[in-house]
Amino acid sequence: MAAIETEGLERTFKGGLTAVAGVDLAVREGEVYGFLGPNGAGKTTTVRMLVTLLRPTGGRATVAGHDVAREPDAVRRRIGVALQEAALDPLMTGRELVELQATLHGISPARVRGRARELLERVDLLDAQDRRVGTYSGGMKRRLDLALALIHEPAVLFLDEPTTGLDPVSRMTLWDEVRRLKAAGTTVFLTTQYLEEADQLADRVGIIDGGRLVAEGTPAELKAEAGHARLDLTFAAGGDGPDLEAAAAALRPFGTPAPGTDGTHLRLALPGGAAEIAPIVRALDEAGVELRGLQVVQPTLDDVFVARTGHRLDPEEPRADAAAGPR
Amino acid sequence: MTRVVAALARRALRTTARRPQFVAPLVLFPTLFLAANVGGLTRATSLPGFPPVPSFLDFQLAGSLTQALLLGGVASGIAIALEIEMGFFDRLLAAPIPRVAIVLGRLCAAAVVALGQVAWFLAVDLAFGGSVEGGPLGALAVAAIGVVAGVGFGATGITIALLARNVATVQGVFPLVFVILFGSSAFFPRDLLQSPAREVARYNPLSLIADGLRDPLVGPVSAGPVLEGLAAAGGVAVVMTAACVLALRRRLARA
Amino acid sequence: MTGRARIVLWLGRRGLNEVLRVPGASIPGVLAPTIFLLGLTSMFGAAARLPGFTADDFATFIVPVGMLQGAAFSGAATGVNLARDIERGWFDRLLLVPAPRLTLLAGIVASAALRSLLPSSVVFAAGLLIGVPWPGLGATALAFALVMGLALGLACYATTLALAFRTQQAAPLMQMGGFVLVLFTPAFAPEDLLAGWMHAIATVNPVTYVLEGARQGFVGDVTWPRTWPALAALGGMLALLGSLAVRGMRRTGR
Repeated sequence: MAAIETEGLERTFKGGLTAVAGVDLAVREGEVYGFLGPNGAGKTTTVRMLVTLLRPTGGRATVAGHDVAREPDAVRRRIGVALQEAALDPLMTGRELVELQATLHGISPARVRGRARELLERVDLLDAQDRRVGTYSGGMKRRLDLALALIHEPAVLFLDEPTTGLDPVSRMTLWDEVRRLKAAGTTVFLTTQYLEEADQLADRVGIIDGGRLVAEGTPAELKAEAGHARLDLTFAAGGDGPDLEAAAAALRPFGTPAPGTDGTHLRLALPGGAAEIAPIVRALDEAGVELRGLQVVQPTLDDVFVARTGHRLDPEEPRADAAAGPR
Repeated sequence: MTRVVAALARRALRTTARRPQFVAPLVLFPTLFLAANVGGLTRATSLPGFPPVPSFLDFQLAGSLTQALLLGGVASGIAIALEIEMGFFDRLLAAPIPRVAIVLGRLCAAAVVALGQVAWFLAVDLAFGGSVEGGPLGALAVAAIGVVAGVGFGATGITIALLARNVATVQGVFPLVFVILFGSSAFFPRDLLQSPAREVARYNPLSLIADGLRDPLVGPVSAGPVLEGLAAAGGVAVVMTAACVLALRRRLARA
Repeated sequence: MTGRARIVLWLGRRGLNEVLRVPGASIPGVLAPTIFLLGLTSMFGAAARLPGFTADDFATFIVPVGMLQGAAFSGAATGVNLARDIERGWFDRLLLVPAPRLTLLAGIVASAALRSLLPSSVVFAAGLLIGVPWPGLGATALAFALVMGLALGLACYATTLALAFRTQQAAPLMQMGGFVLVLFTPAFAPEDLLAGWMHAIATVNPVTYVLEGARQGFVGDVTWPRTWPALAALGGMLALLGSLAVRGMRRTGR
């Protein structure tokens, strides 16, 4: 059975804006599904429909076997949702929040305390449990949010941009937790703007743009589809710069090289993979072209994105983000 | 300098107009309070000792106008405190403009808001059967006292904001507006107030301002109360603007 | 205790955090009705000498008004806090809970009834301190019960606005409702002394009957003919404003 299934899912807002224009998804049980897309692509609207916060205006969706529009409570019982960071009450302590969440989910009073302790321990917040959430760091808040989402052992977990704005260490901790959940059989629906995150965690990836699913598959499939690995060649500068023409001529038997930006590079597609490297180097050597360096570049999800949508996935990559300092 | 002040004043007015939740209290609450008082206590004019006035509305109006002007002062303070919290104030300080222009711009805006409040309450008075007994000259007198008082209250609010540097404290001043107003002759004749409000009202400059605003509304303009009101409003304006500039200097010295 | 009752209790408790955990923040709301009581008494006290005024002194007459103002403040604050929770995303978390929307709504507004006890008790105590006679245990209990009921009703009103506008900018609208409802009544003078138009509004304003009910014991004795209209008016307000809030709650996400 599919954990999440949608058919022609649609949402048009009052002003006439169609944020989601017919999305078909099928997420298998136990799978980590990465849902990629830039801001405004319809990512958040899709998630809000799947978690029963927004009614679809067209099509249908079932989550954990229940229809989101007709049986919202049944869906709510089976899913966990980690929302954006700010959705925590700064005046409450971590423990109070977890205990409140347990009560809201109908966990019996006798078990509330134990369950709260168990989860706080799991996300490593036992030491901070009696402090008000307002004093927590960004990473601690995300971990607490995750604990809240897991309180009722959901079959399907929705993580909405779980690592946006996190430092690299907190990001790794969260990634590890997602892997643990997957190992325990939880289905994870992960939205993210970070290609690297989807690549690292997701079994399959769906790319949404302009309210439509434009690509879907395993990261490897998608990357293979986007093209071959490339060989990036750097040549030594001679008197008037490197002789790129001679190099290009020597490379002709292997394909049509494309010049790089600064006049010392050539790029060449590698349809045969790494096995082709040795003959290429030999040919260059025979032509007397001095090679400074070479690198095999694998296609990325970004390439897939560009190929499918015609534009780049906009936001800065995680590393640049973390370099901007803590928030 | 004039151009900078004008530009800052325009900006202050624009942001005020774009925050309906700040504008509403400036006229709506005093107007509703006016309606509640007049509707409930309209017979008060028949109390022995109540001065002869055309109607209780005419009498109350000056009190509500004073209240509105005071709330306008709090709003100016909140606006400055918000700018300090958001860091915009520091950007202004870093700009190559005279520092005093920042305060003057805000005070010019306060004057414009005060004029609007005067116009609103005069319109309410006329719309609901009241009268401006003093005629056009009387209306002019009300506008003059109102604008000067508005600047004075604005300077008070800004001074508090510059010293406190946070919105919450300035908002905490809100109830105080009522306290100082209740200890004045703004809403009821001083001789009919209960002790100790009666004694406090005697020395409360708000009594002079409200009585000055009231005089042209309830009878022919008489120089005494109007000039006293103008003097009291002017006194508040001068003293508080000076305090405001001092507070700005202090803030700069510390920064 | 059932699961639903526990949810209401928890959410109600959370609503009290604003009062208990932010020292200072609640002081203006708690003190405002008392400042009004003291200020209005010192200003308008002479009005009690008007022929036809039903109380011996003005403070006694308006203590119940101040208590109902406390209810109005608490009701509006509930809506403002909900709007803030919606802005911050906390409300989404609540909507994700597999509990009836009615239970969640009850939890949100329940805190208003409890919170209203704080400002109204301060008004009541201040009144006794300045010489308002003790109205009797029954009258006091009735007054506080009506305060809590009105707070609940006005919390439903403010909640409806919060759900419709989804922003704290709607706060003045929430505050104005209670302000008008409480003061456009025989708040400052007995019905017969009101201006004609005010008399007309007061007659159709349900809070007039709630106020007259709460005023018993302060002015006159507690009697059934003045008690049942208060309860009926409050019941009607709760039914109307409550169903509006329920409708607003059901419509979220549509």
